[in-house]
Amino acid sequence: MHTVKILFFATLRDYVGSKSVELEIPEGTTIGGLKDMLATTYPRLEKVKESMMAAINREYAAETQVIPLAAEIAFFPPVSGG
Amino acid sequence: MDFPTIISLTETDLDLNSMLAQITLPTTGATAIFTGVVRGQTTRGDYHATDYLEYEAFQPMAETKMRQIADEIRQKWPTIEGILIVQRTGRLYPGAPSTVIACSSAHRDTGVFEAARYGIDRLKEIVPVWKKEIGSLGEQWIEGKYHPKPGE
Repeated sequence: MHTVKILFFATLRDYVGSKSVELEIPEGTTIGGLKDMLATTYPRLEKVKESMMAAINREYAAETQVIPLAAEIAFFPPVSGG
Repeated sequence: MDFPTIISLTETDLDLNSMLAQITLPTTGATAIFTGVVRGQTTRGDYHATDYLEYEAFQPMAETKMRQIADEIRQKWPTIEGILIVQRTGRLYPGAPSTVIACSSAHRDTGVFEAARYGIDRLKEIVPVWKKEIGSLGEQWIEGKYHPKPGE
């Protein structure tokens, strides 16, 4: 197990009710796996699981990417700046 | 010569003149400045009015991605001199400039317009910034459509 910091932005922050959480995850957990874990704790994430963007250490990450030790994960909706 | 690259997310009002000065070199003969503006009335699609927008950013990643866009511009248009990419955050009312993409070059025909256009298009694809709209439709987060590839 190892600890990751998870940040949420925009709609996802509203769904989770918090800007960031720390979570113990098994080694080898992927972004997709972490999404499933989070959707269990925060059911409102279930319907946006597919469209949630993920970043590992501030770089866009794939669903299948394994989360490295001491990573900072961010989840957010497709961006809408400008 | 080192060409200036200015990247910023800011809660303060944008001063276009001082921004222009930051990308104007002795060799500069052309600049293209794009500004996004908070639209008070939207007529494309269903009409609605906007009271204000609340911008939120994942600041460190946004800065990294803005710098990446500047690098991409320099790869595509090596003649570009200065590049400035600025995004406002916080509450913005209709009429306010919300973002500025400005590029400078020696002459107008060396890609300066295209570079600024590319900059705003990319900003809307990969820079982690979101806006919540408060207006005649109530309060809602605006979501983009683009899904960046891993590492993009």
